[in-house]
Amino acid sequence: MKGIFSVLVENKDGVLSQIAGLFARRGYNIDSLAVGETDKHDISSMTIVSTADQRTIDQIEKHLNKKLDVIKVRRLDEAKSVSLEMMLIKVSYTAQTRSSLIELCSVMGAKIMHISAKSIMIEIHNTPDVIGEFLDLLKSFGILEVQRTGTISMAKG
Amino acid sequence: MNGAQAMVECLKAEGVTKIFGIPGVAIAPFYEALYENPEITHILVRQEQAAGHAASGYARITRKPAVCVTSSGPGATNLITALATANADSIPLIAITGQVDSSLLGHDVFQEADMRGSTESFVKYSYLVRNANDIPRIFKEAFHVASTGRMGPVLIDIPCDVQRMELSKAFRYPEEVKMRGYKPSVMGNGQQLAKVTAAINRAKKPLICAGGGVILGNGEEVVRRFCEKHQIPLVSTMMGIGTIAKSHPLYFGMLGNNGKPYANKAVSNADLLMIVGARVADRAVPKPEKLERRLNVIHIDIDSAEIGKMLGPTIPLVGDIRHIFDALLEADIHTDTKEWLQELEEFKHTTVDHRVFSDKKVNPMTLVQTLSEKMDEDAVYVADVGQNQLWSADNYVMKSGRFLTTGGMGTMGYSIPAAIGAKMAEPSRQVVAVCGDGAFQMSMFELATIAVNQVAVKILVLRNEYLGLVREHQEKVYQGHYFGVQLHAFPHFDKLAEAYDMAYFHADSNEGLEEKLDRFLSCPKAAIMVCDIDSANNTK
Repeated sequence: MKGIFSVLVENKDGVLSQIAGLFARRGYNIDSLAVGETDKHDISSMTIVSTADQRTIDQIEKHLNKKLDVIKVRRLDEAKSVSLEMMLIKVSYTAQTRSSLIELCSVMGAKIMHISAKSIMIEIHNTPDVIGEFLDLLKSFGILEVQRTGTISMAKG
Repeated sequence: MNGAQAMVECLKAEGVTKIFGIPGVAIAPFYEALYENPEITHILVRQEQAAGHAASGYARITRKPAVCVTSSGPGATNLITALATANADSIPLIAITGQVDSSLLGHDVFQEADMRGSTESFVKYSYLVRNANDIPRIFKEAFHVASTGRMGPVLIDIPCDVQRMELSKAFRYPEEVKMRGYKPSVMGNGQQLAKVTAAINRAKKPLICAGGGVILGNGEEVVRRFCEKHQIPLVSTMMGIGTIAKSHPLYFGMLGNNGKPYANKAVSNADLLMIVGARVADRAVPKPEKLERRLNVIHIDIDSAEIGKMLGPTIPLVGDIRHIFDALLEADIHTDTKEWLQELEEFKHTTVDHRVFSDKKVNPMTLVQTLSEKMDEDAVYVADVGQNQLWSADNYVMKSGRFLTTGGMGTMGYSIPAAIGAKMAEPSRQVVAVCGDGAFQMSMFELATIAVNQVAVKILVLRNEYLGLVREHQEKVYQGHYFGVQLHAFPHFDKLAEAYDMAYFHADSNEGLEEKLDRFLSCPKAAIMVCDIDSANNTK
């Protein structure tokens, strides 16, 4: 199953490495990790996504809670939260493929950020699933470079 | 006031009177401040790891955090094994390590080691002090963190320039701790308590498994009262030895790989197992998945992350053992365990122990039994690691004393420095370290600490001239291909005892053993007693 954790942590040195170290040491998988400052300069917010069995996901939550620099852990339900991710992707094109590539971007709500003689840089922000599908669709064009931010999530209501 | 002086003031505010350590340039300002403060005694050990283990022994007897100090670089890295040991055994330590000047951090200068990074998985929490004004807050937090919730070691790494830095405001030791990320659960959840009560009332064959957490949480008495009130039998893990006297009618021994067969049989036949303050680690419960399929489990622990780690419990209950058992003593519980206790008594008397110990030389089983029977009622028995530890745990006659060992990390060489710490915590109490000749040689440099400080500990060495437990493993798993395990007949223990002004006793057979043990135990000064053991003796 997928575990989405929204974690508030002390914004100070060493905390990110503590959290990453916890996952590494105990063999927990990190699908994605996104971190940034909140409206309070001394608190950062992390979204950590991990795929594991139920017991491991429970253990991850407990071990996150055990960290003294972790202020709050919330486990998010995929259906009851909004998850977003952003991706920059560079795709090669030819005269034959250019128009279908632009059309695909328009259908998917992706933005073209830069065009050079042989490649197009596209930006998309959407749910992680849609981003994954978009990535698959672009494979036939020839992907040159991909940058993903990792998922950020927030509970509804 | 500079940072170093503030550190000493913090220790005084915490009531610290003894610390264990070895100085170096990077911690020299702190030692200068100690020089000015005779209220705190510094015990100079001979290697930093021993400072950590001595502090561990001291903390376990005083039941308060104990302090060890090292310099930077190799001095600090030498301490890491002791921190890992304390972490695995949940012992509250404050480790103060000197560090290179802040401006040089990260430059790989002489004797620089990244202590926060390298101890990350071995401490409960750690600090790198950047500003001397933070010292009072950091020390207050460190002592609080080490001694509350699931206890453990806390590292304070402090650059030399921060120790020299003048505080810009007057020293004030905080009264309270404000840590928004740290609020350990103490009181058990009411609903969970009700479920526990109901489960006990439903059970026909309840059994308590007491771990080290019972002792760490000062819960021996309340657990004992609970067992007695409801006539619920108890087994223990190795770290839980000491919860209840061996002679207690409700005690059915240590469980696990190295435990009593009847204790394991009790676990197999119970219908409700209450695990209290135990990790359910592999040595105590080799196949937890089998257990969870067969019987109801209640898991009580201060650390919620221990619950469900190895075994999916039916009823988890997180909190402080004394609060929980106080509540359970008040709860509406009715049990009738007469038949169950009869069944257990029968196990105890009919389970055949197939092990045979050689009476060639000294019989290790007889030795541990006789020794612990002869020891004072409240004596401290410190068992090292190896065959000696398993023979000790198996045969130790618990009265009202303490049984200290490192069941979590299994660090060889623990017993001698830990015994020093225990004896220094309560000099009037009898303290005996029991170790093999292998473990002895991992800490024998501490005989100097014993001699210089006139610490009247007793060291009993079970000498079989082998790293016995590895030898046993090679015998069973590698067809007796003994390799790298033979210690031979060195050192000459009599000469070592003489070199460090200690009394010396030697037993090479069971004959006259009792009389020699009497003389060894009653000897007013520190003593070494070597007992020769036939290397053919195994633990299983």
